[in-house]
Amino acid sequence: MIPLDMLPIGQTAEIADVLGDLNDVKRLAEMGMRCGAVVQVVQQGSPCIVRVNGCSLCFRECAHLQVFVQPVATVA
Amino acid sequence: MSIQQQTEPIAVALIGNPNTGKSTLFNALSGVRQRTGNYPGVTVEKKHGTFRIDDKAIELIDLPGSYSLAPRSPDEMVAVDVLLGRLPAERKPQAVLVILDAGNLERNLYILSQVLELRLPTIVALNMIDAAAEKGVTVDVELLSQRLGVPVIPTRANQGEGVQDLRKALANIEHQAPPEYPSPFPPAFREEVAGLQGQLVSRNVSAPRYLVERLLLDTSGYLECELKLGGEDFHQLIEEARKRLKESGAPVPAVEAMSRYGWVRETLRGVVERKPVPPPLSDRIDRVMTHPIFGTIFFALLMMLVFTTVFSDYVAGVPMGWIEAGFEWLGELVGSNLAEGPFRSLLVDGVIAGVGGVLVFLPQICILFFFIAILEDCGYMARAAYLMDRLFSNIGLSGKSFIPLLSSFACAIPGVMATRVIENRRDRLVTMLIAPLMSCSARIPVYVVMIAAFVPPYSFAGGLINSHALTFAGMYLVGIVAAVIVAFVLKKTILRGATPPFVLELPSYKWPSMSTVGLRVAEKGWSFIRRAGTLIFASSVLVWAAAYYPHNEAIVAPELERLAAVETELEQATDEEKIAALEEELAALDHRISGALLRDSYLGRAGRWIEPVVRPLGWDWRIGCATLASFPAREVIIGTLGVIFDMGDEEEAESLPLREKLQAATWDDTDKPLFNLPVALSVMVFFALCAQCAATLAVIKRETNSWRWPIFTFVYMTTLAYVGAFAIYRIAAFLTETPIVSV
Repeated sequence: MIPLDMLPIGQTAEIADVLGDLNDVKRLAEMGMRCGAVVQVVQQGSPCIVRVNGCSLCFRECAHLQVFVQPVATVA
Repeated sequence: MSIQQQTEPIAVALIGNPNTGKSTLFNALSGVRQRTGNYPGVTVEKKHGTFRIDDKAIELIDLPGSYSLAPRSPDEMVAVDVLLGRLPAERKPQAVLVILDAGNLERNLYILSQVLELRLPTIVALNMIDAAAEKGVTVDVELLSQRLGVPVIPTRANQGEGVQDLRKALANIEHQAPPEYPSPFPPAFREEVAGLQGQLVSRNVSAPRYLVERLLLDTSGYLECELKLGGEDFHQLIEEARKRLKESGAPVPAVEAMSRYGWVRETLRGVVERKPVPPPLSDRIDRVMTHPIFGTIFFALLMMLVFTTVFSDYVAGVPMGWIEAGFEWLGELVGSNLAEGPFRSLLVDGVIAGVGGVLVFLPQICILFFFIAILEDCGYMARAAYLMDRLFSNIGLSGKSFIPLLSSFACAIPGVMATRVIENRRDRLVTMLIAPLMSCSARIPVYVVMIAAFVPPYSFAGGLINSHALTFAGMYLVGIVAAVIVAFVLKKTILRGATPPFVLELPSYKWPSMSTVGLRVAEKGWSFIRRAGTLIFASSVLVWAAAYYPHNEAIVAPELERLAAVETELEQATDEEKIAALEEELAALDHRISGALLRDSYLGRAGRWIEPVVRPLGWDWRIGCATLASFPAREVIIGTLGVIFDMGDEEEAESLPLREKLQAATWDDTDKPLFNLPVALSVMVFFALCAQCAATLAVIKRETNSWRWPIFTFVYMTTLAYVGAFAIYRIAAFLTETPIVSV
């Protein structure tokens, strides 16, 4: 399990855990970033750009909101 | 059915996620029959549109784009209140139109599941079906409609496809029954909600079931605070219910996402088919647009193009010239048809000059909003926010602050209103407080006059760069640097808090819809005209009155006598040389009389009263007086300078006589020049940093619902302006070896 911002470009992963303030976690879930959702990194860095369910989100991890992912496959 | 029911249009609320084409659909349905406003007491923009079909009138209520109907701020509360009919200023909608992005149904159905719980007749517009197909997504519309139990109309709002079908469906919505929708929540949760609702009923409090659900789910406490239902011990009951839910494996607030996404999964089973497709074009474009180096270079070039066009003589300058000429003609027309006196002075010098002086900036405002609307509609603005986040996070803000600050370069009012895109309260407040530091178009006349008159013209790099352009750019930089420092200080002191999480959706790139852009520019332009017609009009009249009264002609009695004598001589004169000399004397007398009357006016007296305060900045009473007059709106400075320097107040920013007069002005009763480079820089820096705009302060009051923040903004910006002007005056005087005047 690795933090989302460490996922390489093109790598697909499943969101394993979202840690942080309950309301922030819920806000992320409403936007589609919830446990079990499949993400793919489009642009690395902080903030990074990820593709979730066909839409692009940019997301900056911070001390009180972190997304951990489990890489599942590598797309060339 | 009553007569009122027959004639009143059917009210339909529009709701959906951001970037689903909601605005485009609203515009396509209602065309130009739209009106905007604000809900009283809150900051959300109220947008209504109407259309007629089959002799029925439909009124659309456009609600802000949202991912969820879970209120966590006053803005979000408005959407829930409108849908539940809890706002006195708004009719309860008889139906809801939910706009879904066909390419991302999983997330979009989340808000639909909340809407269905409200038990209002509902229609779904399945929008962007073409974009979904490009992503390899096909939707079985028939099956989706069956599962949801509501009509689903496929649309391509940007092409106008499906819009007529949607209109027909809306015309029949009265006869549609509310959807059957079983709650997605587990039984334990439903029981707790029923229990809480029972408690409220026993306390004679009525609240819709949806609000009770939200009370239980809202762990931030916002709703409890907002609704104040059930008395003191009701909070305890909510806490106990949450505890029981946690023990039963349905923890709050996670139970909502779990339950709703469970329902979404079931609903979409077999409805959506996905085929593998190559990465979308948007992703490929983004590799360049969001690249740390290439993306930043593109962003810088784009901003340069925007600002060059806004301040270009060829694009903005031409219509500005027409407006100027139009008001000049109007002033002359009114002036020549009315007898001399206070009424003529009020109309010509107060109303026409004041309002015209502001409306001249309309082309610049429209051009800037044209660019902003295009960049927003094609999807670039979110990328700009992404690029800016790296910079803004260093001062404790997020990239979301970029859009409001960009708008503030045209005018701080829409800039302050645009801070609504920022969810974090502290960030929103900081952005709002620094927005007026961005150099808005009202500061341009001050820069133009001062630079043209007092900055020596030097050229560098073979004429590509010159000292005038550098000084102009420098004034913009003063505002930006001050904003960065103020934001940093605020985030470290009174608005201390960790840099908030930054999550932003990047919509797919698309060609901007010209009708959406046109409507947006017209809407912003009209709101600027309204402002000029109300606030600027009122402040112009007040400044005129302060500069005109007490109008004690006794103090200019000798000049008036001489004026009458010269007029008589002029009537009798035949010699051309004598006529010319008399006309010159007449003009000089006119200027002397208006100057003396101004010095004796309430404004002039106030100017003399504040002279000790402005003297350290290198200013005399006249500059102080003009600055004081421009506190309600900085646009009035040019007219006031014109009056003060005995020129009549019809001078325009670039008119030669005003510039020459300022160059020739001396300290009272001496031959020491009043203006020089350090004084000009001091005036410009003061105008760059000061909060001379009552309308902006009023908008900050409205947005924060408190007097504390506009007062704070006024105090900190005026202090900053004073310190900045003092520092630049002393530094420039030292560097240019200009003696500091102490008269």
